[in-house]
Amino acid sequence: MAVNEKGILNRLYFIAGCMFIFGIAVVFKLLSIQFLQGDKYRALATERVVKDVIIPANRGNVYSVNGNLLATSIPKYDIRIDALAPSLKTFEEYVKPLCDSLSKYSGKSSNKLEKEIRKARANKNRYYLLARNIGYSDYIRLRNFPLLKLGAFKGGLIVEQTTKREHPMGGIAQRSIGYERFDEKGNVTRAGIDGAFGVKYLRGVDGKRKKQQIGKGQWKPLSDANEVEPQDGYDVYTTIDVNIQDIAHHALLEQLEKYKADHGCVVVMETKTGEIRAISNLGRNKNGYYYERLNYAVGESHESGSTFKLMALAAAFEDKLVDTSDVVDTENGILSFYGKKVRDSKHGGYGKITVSKAFEISSNTGIVKAIDQAYRNQPEKFVDRLYEMNLNNDLNLPIIGEPKPIIPDPRIKNGRWSGIALQWMAYGYGVSFTPLQTLTFYNAVANDGVMVKPRFLKEVKEFDRIVEPFKEEVINKQICSKETISKLKQLLKNVVEKEYGTGHRLYSENFSMAGKTGTCQKDYRNKEKLNYISSFAGYFPAENPKYSCIVVIHEPDKSVGYYGADVSGPVFKKVAQKIFIDTPIVDEIETLNISETSIENEYQSFYETAQKYKTIMPNLVGIPAMDAVVLLENMQIDVKVKLQGNGVIKSQSVDKNTKLKSKQTVVLTAS
Amino acid sequence: MVRETNRHFKFDWITIFLFFLLVGFGWLNILSASHNGATINYLDFSQPFGKQLVFIFLTFGLIILLLAIDAKFYERFSSLIYIISMLSLVGLFIFGKNVNGATSWYAIGGMTLQPSEFAKAATALAVAKYISDLNTNINSFKDQLQTFLIIIIPALLVLLQNDTGSTIVYGAFFFVLYREGLPKYYLTIGLSIIILSVLSLKFGYIITSLIAIILIVVYHFLNKKKIRIYQSILISIAAIAISFGVKFFYQSILQPHQQDRISLWLRLEKDPQKLEKMKQTFAYNLNESEKAISSGGFSGKGFMEGTRTTGKFVPEQHTDYIFSTVGEEWGFLGSAFVVIVFVLLLLRILHLAELQKSQFSRVYGYGVASIIFIHFLVNIGMVMGLIPTIGIPLPLFSYGGSGLWAFTILIFIFIKLDSNRINEW
Repeated sequence: MAVNEKGILNRLYFIAGCMFIFGIAVVFKLLSIQFLQGDKYRALATERVVKDVIIPANRGNVYSVNGNLLATSIPKYDIRIDALAPSLKTFEEYVKPLCDSLSKYSGKSSNKLEKEIRKARANKNRYYLLARNIGYSDYIRLRNFPLLKLGAFKGGLIVEQTTKREHPMGGIAQRSIGYERFDEKGNVTRAGIDGAFGVKYLRGVDGKRKKQQIGKGQWKPLSDANEVEPQDGYDVYTTIDVNIQDIAHHALLEQLEKYKADHGCVVVMETKTGEIRAISNLGRNKNGYYYERLNYAVGESHESGSTFKLMALAAAFEDKLVDTSDVVDTENGILSFYGKKVRDSKHGGYGKITVSKAFEISSNTGIVKAIDQAYRNQPEKFVDRLYEMNLNNDLNLPIIGEPKPIIPDPRIKNGRWSGIALQWMAYGYGVSFTPLQTLTFYNAVANDGVMVKPRFLKEVKEFDRIVEPFKEEVINKQICSKETISKLKQLLKNVVEKEYGTGHRLYSENFSMAGKTGTCQKDYRNKEKLNYISSFAGYFPAENPKYSCIVVIHEPDKSVGYYGADVSGPVFKKVAQKIFIDTPIVDEIETLNISETSIENEYQSFYETAQKYKTIMPNLVGIPAMDAVVLLENMQIDVKVKLQGNGVIKSQSVDKNTKLKSKQTVVLTAS
Repeated sequence: MVRETNRHFKFDWITIFLFFLLVGFGWLNILSASHNGATINYLDFSQPFGKQLVFIFLTFGLIILLLAIDAKFYERFSSLIYIISMLSLVGLFIFGKNVNGATSWYAIGGMTLQPSEFAKAATALAVAKYISDLNTNINSFKDQLQTFLIIIIPALLVLLQNDTGSTIVYGAFFFVLYREGLPKYYLTIGLSIIILSVLSLKFGYIITSLIAIILIVVYHFLNKKKIRIYQSILISIAAIAISFGVKFFYQSILQPHQQDRISLWLRLEKDPQKLEKMKQTFAYNLNESEKAISSGGFSGKGFMEGTRTTGKFVPEQHTDYIFSTVGEEWGFLGSAFVVIVFVLLLLRILHLAELQKSQFSRVYGYGVASIIFIHFLVNIGMVMGLIPTIGIPLPLFSYGGSGLWAFTILIFIFIKLDSNRINEW
């Protein structure tokens, strides 16, 4: 098919037309951008040019009750270099000195550093990391290194500041102090006090400032003042006492290590106020070391074992169904209910004993029998009594992760109730509490029946101004009658004081304690995995309780021991003892008259010798070495003293009464 | 038209004038876009404007050389020039230097050369040579295939070097072949595919297929006598296949950054997070350049007065986005002026091409005009958001030695050929 002239012309017009039409299209688009949509783009241009810059508020600190810093935010710096920013001349001039300085700082070889920085420049790396996460003083030091000293534009220095949360007390109570972490997506993970009070107190309110872009990557503030001033977070004063915390931490750690236990916790609570003075949670990692890993005290609910006998008897006493002097037959140490057996730890049982003794020696059969006889036909009454003592409620703590207590109820069909539930509850099985929940009950007993809520916060401050003080919160004004309380107190005191008491090993003549041991089987459904939870809950001093304390240790090595009194008791005792020693309950100390004649005499003779011998060698034999040296060095003549050994001078190289020469060396030999 | 017979003045001075007008105005804008606010040292060769000045001076030597060479040389040695050029492209795979993700440069001493720029001129020569051969019949399928091969080889080579922009330029030769009598159905098919693709991406393949079938059916009944039923059915199937295939091509063959560009252009992206990300990357360029152009208004802010230009808001402003400088500092008047100069240059070259006696010169002339046109279209279109973002320089205007010299060679070979048109061959 030949293309004719007309066809060719059409094609020519088509091509030229395309070009022409496109030219017209461009002009139209130009008109559109510059005039029709001009306002839109101009608005966009200013929008992009002004932005709100967020000025982060400083996070508040967390303090202990005695004012020690537990958690604080400190600035950290990442130092980088824009390897292309310095001119070639500047770079060559300073790269070597810079690497020498860096080498001194980091300990890496200067040559290697130089090689890396040169490589960064060759690769056009404008963001080469020199140091990460360094403190303020190091930052100042690095900033003054050669090259970096020239600043951002000539030297390529890039400084990025971040804020790190630090715990000045180290690992102590770390879990309870906790954290609030943010990831890039804005999700928050929280733990402990820092997490619980982040939003409410610690975070503060970020400020805002309008900035205008004056060039690529360059912003200048629009006005002198910030649009929104940042409001720093409040400081949170916790109830934690660093000294008690330290004692609890180390006492627990020592015991965990001794018994190779899996984990454990200690909580110390002030009886009157419910303020938590110490909360230590230590768990073993796979290398066998113990760390603050999980908040067991708050979050780990477990079957109580014998410590629950106190609650059981409290209910029975209050209902006047059992009394301390009632006699129960422990039979042969074995009771059977529907084929299931309750055993005593002592083979053969204790015979006929009082309820009181059954508690003190922690006889399972004794307590079970008492409770069984009292409530067999009315288990609801028992459960209701427990409810009345607020045992079925959680503590509503600010620290997240607290489970609700478990108490089987015959009226609730949740599979927990059975024919033996009452009997098993009597000695602490089938019920489940967290250590803090158990402690709250024991503390209520210590506090004459007033149940107070455990508290972690003393007050919230903004500098010195108290923003919010916290007072004790009463959960239950009177959990049971005074009469019952005094009975319970006596029982708890006897556990330690009576020679046959399970806690007698803790007994000390110097101070009194009251408490209950607990040795609870764990995983008892599987014989091979059978393990123990050893606990001790109580308060001290027994007569006028000031602190209550619970110690729970999970899975001690059975071959070393597992009884509550052995494993957990010592921690309790140590905490109590140390608090007593360290807390100046009696401040007054008689002014001692330290005027021993021998010391007086010694000083007199020293003084006399010093006055008498100015240029003549004194007799130094028999004088303490330190005194002898001081004597010689304070002479009017400049003598060099060489001392061999320490103690009392035995011999001197220059005889006494010899005139000393300047720069003479005197050798003193001491024993 | 009577032309000067004096050998020294028979060059087409209009083309040369337009050429220097663009180069000169281009340099002023490069100066504005790349100076850093300090006192300007025009001979500061570390800055783009200083370097470009050197490139422009070297251009004079190049022009003299190009015009001094005998016109016959270009035709006679076109095959050789083409082969050398292709080898230089192949060599990039071994010796090439990677800049911004494309392996398109040779580094010689402190200089970089981009052979793909020169390959366009070489291909134009080769195509002209092949078509102008007496044995070539553009209507024979075999010769069409041969011609396509000449064009596709360099296109493929630059595509493999990740230089998509340069690949598209080879589409320019469609105009050349069309002018030389390539059957019309190529145009119909090509346009149909482009329209179908865009529609399919924008409105989904089902709607596009339906529209295509309705149109075909209507067309079929209007031209009942000419078209057989099976032809219409085949075309319908093809249209449906294309509509469906585009989606696959878009999702599986295009690289993510290319997908993003198309999706931004057709406003396909609905995910606000992704849109925001686009705004910070390549859409940022477009936005900034549109803002710069719009802020120019009717007469612009004045030379070196553009706040968005001197503030370095628009990335790559002295190269691909140079037109936004014109928009801001010279306003609508300046931009329209540039467009008019380009259109004049193109029409002048086409006009000259039509005047050529030798088919070689005519085909080459069409090649020159088409290549400049595609560059112009893609670049200006991109800067103003008319077409998707494709990195390609504005001829004679953008910063860059290789580009400038390649267009100088392209245009001045044609000027030389044109000067010889009245001579006997």
